[in-house]
Amino acid sequence: MKLFTQMTKMAVLAASISFTCASVAAEPMDLDSLLKNLEQGKSAQSVQNTQREQQFTARQNEQVQILKDTQAKRSQMLSESDRLETQFEENEIKLANLTDTLSKRMGSLKELFGVLQQVAGDSSNKFATSVVSAEIPGRSVFMDDLAQKMGSTSQLASIEDIEKVWYELQREMTEQGKVSRFNTQVIIEGGNKAEQEVVRVGAFNLISNGKYLEYSPSTNTLSELTRQPVSRYTSTAGDLQQAKNGIVQFALDPTGGSILGLLVQAPDTAEQVHQGGAVGYVILGVGLLALLIAIERFVSLLLVGGKIRRQLKDTVARDDNPLGRVMKVKDDYPNVAYDTLELKLSEAILREMPKITRNLTLIKIISVVAPLLGLLGTVTGMINTFQAITLFGTGDPKLMAGGISQALVTTVLGLVVAIPTVFIYTILNTRAKSLLLILQEQSAGIIAKRSEKGA
Amino acid sequence: MVLLIDSINAIRDFLDTGGQVLLVIGVLIFAMWLLILERFIYFFNGFRGYKKAIKNSWLARSERNSWNAEQIRQVMISRASMRLNANLALINVMVALCPLLGLLGTVTGMIEVFDVMAITGTGSARSMASGVSKATIPTMAGMVGALSGVFASTYLQRRAKREVALLEDSMVLDH
Repeated sequence: MKLFTQMTKMAVLAASISFTCASVAAEPMDLDSLLKNLEQGKSAQSVQNTQREQQFTARQNEQVQILKDTQAKRSQMLSESDRLETQFEENEIKLANLTDTLSKRMGSLKELFGVLQQVAGDSSNKFATSVVSAEIPGRSVFMDDLAQKMGSTSQLASIEDIEKVWYELQREMTEQGKVSRFNTQVIIEGGNKAEQEVVRVGAFNLISNGKYLEYSPSTNTLSELTRQPVSRYTSTAGDLQQAKNGIVQFALDPTGGSILGLLVQAPDTAEQVHQGGAVGYVILGVGLLALLIAIERFVSLLLVGGKIRRQLKDTVARDDNPLGRVMKVKDDYPNVAYDTLELKLSEAILREMPKITRNLTLIKIISVVAPLLGLLGTVTGMINTFQAITLFGTGDPKLMAGGISQALVTTVLGLVVAIPTVFIYTILNTRAKSLLLILQEQSAGIIAKRSEKGA
Repeated sequence: MVLLIDSINAIRDFLDTGGQVLLVIGVLIFAMWLLILERFIYFFNGFRGYKKAIKNSWLARSERNSWNAEQIRQVMISRASMRLNANLALINVMVALCPLLGLLGTVTGMIEVFDVMAITGTGSARSMASGVSKATIPTMAGMVGALSGVFASTYLQRRAKREVALLEDSMVLDH
């Protein structure tokens, strides 16, 4: 603002100078008149200055008065400050004395309040995770508040508070020994809510409709476990809910639900099979092939065996079974020598042999190949694991464990296919061998017997 | 009664710690020993009568020299051999399968251990213990089954062979 006024003044001055210059240029120079002008101006200025001097001296007296007043005020304030300082010090001593008295008077009570705070904090945590809270909610809130109140030095617990802590602890204890029923909202399969009767077994398990429930403390909700334990255990849950009195058997999770919680995370059989990957599917496909061949072989050997057994009892050689066809050789060549007949017989048996032992070798090969494929899957799985180690290091055992369980699944699949296949192969092989034995050793004997009888 | 329930519970606990594979191994060993016992009883009891009957029918023949007689003798011996060797192959395979099933149990148990590791990390050895017991108990059971069966099956095979040889010796051809 000040700068602005100066600027305007200068502008006005410049304008007047230019104006005088112009008038000087316009009029002819008159030095005498200029001198006159100067003289007049000087006398006018000196009048103004004397006026100003007078004004200033008048003001000076005023200023001296103001200085005096202010100095007086300052000394007054200083004395006030001294007084307050001494009072502050006195108060501090008083405060220390009072604190001493307080701690003296509290004595053993102070220890009690410490214990109370600790107990309130502990039970707040305990109540929050206890399944009893599903039936009686809101207990941990009170405990939490009390613990915070005891933490601050300005507040003390009232007798009502202390008695409530006692009551809550006693109630938790009593409820732990009870099997109680109550109705509440349960999140059932598919995420829907339903009002159901829930049975609480102490502080351990919650069941409803024969299913185990999971209690989530943060949202105070109950939900059915998505994966229930084996039926042997869930049936006891159903029994418990139906029982009105007396003693029933019940499968209890003593950890209060954490073991049941882990159950949800464990993969089931189908998921484990899928962990096997491509090699796993190949093994299963080969196993299925072996099973189909085995069924076909089993049925055909059973039929052929039945026909051969009938032929053994029958005297007339029939055309519908291997033994009959072999025995027909004798009828076809009635008058040949014995050694020629033997040769003809063995030729006929050789013709029958492939029909009986067909595909058996394939089953044997599959029983050998399946564990080898399992081994292949294991090695590829381990390669994946080591690649994971190369990328992420060994820091996370979870990452490695996933790959390793993948690798092991294929081994399991290989064994699961191989073990029954070996069994099936042995049974089928024994059957086929016994049929061949009948052909090889007995056909000649039967012919011999018959020719003896006929002779 | 209480003793019975106790023992049933003990067996159930054992099966629970060993897992499902242990149950399969148990059934396999049981079936194997049933077959072995059946063979023993047959060797010492049923076969004697059959052997005597064969021998008598052979000795009762008027002529024991021709091609026909030789073939008929062959049939008799082959039938006896079939009776002696019945189920022996099956017993052998069962003996061989015992350690394989043990291996299966080991691998499934290890899978459980690694599943637990994947969920909880390596920190808690206690939660891994159930998988470890499922891995080791079937292995042990498979070994026990194989060892107990291998002696019996070897003995049965040698016995069957000897019986056939004896039978062949006793049924002489006249020359």
